[in-house]
Amino acid sequence: MENKQSSSPASFIGSTVIPGDVVLDLSSMANQTIKLGDGLREDRDAISAMKAGTLRCKKPNKYRIESCQKRYVPCAGDTVLGIVVDSKRDDFLIDIKGPALAFLPVLAFEGGTRRNIPKFEVGTLLYLRVVKAKFGMNPELSCTDAHGKAAEFGLLKDGYMFETSTGLSRKLLSSPTCPVLESLGKKLPFEIAVGLNGRVWVNAASPHTIIAAANAIMNSES
Amino acid sequence: MEFVSPEGLRLDGRRPLEMRQLRAEIGTVAKANGSAVLEMGNTKVIAAVYGPREVQNRSQIINDQALVRCEYSMANFSTGDRMRKPKGDRRSTEISLVIRQTMEACILTHLMPRSQIDIFVQVLQADGGTRSACINAATLALADAGIPMRDIVTSCSAGYLNSTPLLDLNYIEDSAGGPDVTVGILPKLDKVTLLQMDAKLPVDIFENVMGLAIEGCKAVVNYIREDHQFKH
Repeated sequence: MENKQSSSPASFIGSTVIPGDVVLDLSSMANQTIKLGDGLREDRDAISAMKAGTLRCKKPNKYRIESCQKRYVPCAGDTVLGIVVDSKRDDFLIDIKGPALAFLPVLAFEGGTRRNIPKFEVGTLLYLRVVKAKFGMNPELSCTDAHGKAAEFGLLKDGYMFETSTGLSRKLLSSPTCPVLESLGKKLPFEIAVGLNGRVWVNAASPHTIIAAANAIMNSES
Repeated sequence: MEFVSPEGLRLDGRRPLEMRQLRAEIGTVAKANGSAVLEMGNTKVIAAVYGPREVQNRSQIINDQALVRCEYSMANFSTGDRMRKPKGDRRSTEISLVIRQTMEACILTHLMPRSQIDIFVQVLQADGGTRSACINAATLALADAGIPMRDIVTSCSAGYLNSTPLLDLNYIEDSAGGPDVTVGILPKLDKVTLLQMDAKLPVDIFENVMGLAIEGCKAVVNYIREDHQFKH
């Protein structure tokens, strides 16, 4: 009796995989280009999973593993919330919950020159954009968008910052608007900044509102 | 002393080829990036993983891969009599090294150069097979932390008493003086990453016992696959 291995891609998409699982058998798919996203790697004739999570496929040919972690992997183009750890002559050292500290050049602000360098104390919370992030190098951040405008990046004053998993941050930033934020927004007025690195900042008029909003978001995870 | 009764039952009522009951839970340590509590019968261990993060000791930075550090310790209350020195003794140092080498074989360290991954394993209750339980718990904790791995590592021990190969020894069987073979495998790649034995065994019996331990490892893999939802 022939024993057929079910390594066809259709059987794994949407289901949970663990590291080492072969999710795609390349020998049966010739002349096709597929794009591998987060958590997948090429191993001779097959694509196998590196992380535990759910396999997702975006038509026509993009595959990735969606998983919920506490640690953040910096990726160019992401928006994150960073905390200033140190300031040097040319840049600020920022902690973004990743494998290495990130650099924020002192001039990466709208209209930034050597004369008006902002003074951030250690422990300041900033809303930033990741410009460059490669393995082995410290990521580079910026307080402007790609065109050089300030666009809401920069210092976050007052409010309350709490940490979540990266999965929840992605859900909060997804479109259409996440149901938690939508229903909260109808009842309470508040301001929110979500970093893809698992940090969320909430601000409102009274501490009572801030705590209510923060608790609602944290409890929506489970 | 009789470890296998004439009816074929061991001291705790198991059959020679039966493993102890497995139970595991992930995400139990809120502060750690990944964590797991694993029970194999009465042996209970907790594993916590931190990383990848900045290397704390600058002199130990490796430029092309991640630094994996592992610490194994036993709680004072884990064994029958209260222990004096839970870590730093030779056995703990050896097991720390063994777990580190086993996990380093499966973590894709070249994807995270200049960073550090810390694995802390603590034995809460020791009833034989602590080495295997620690490796299984460390695997679950690493998967919970989302650290890229080649494959999961599972481990199980087996022994040979009263001329019978026995799977998953408990403390009494382990201290009986017979051989204790601990095997760690990468199930999908079908490779052995850990193989340790104390005492002596003739080669043909050794093959049997090692095969039995590998079957035990595969049972652990099935448990992880079926009962664990690494859900998003």
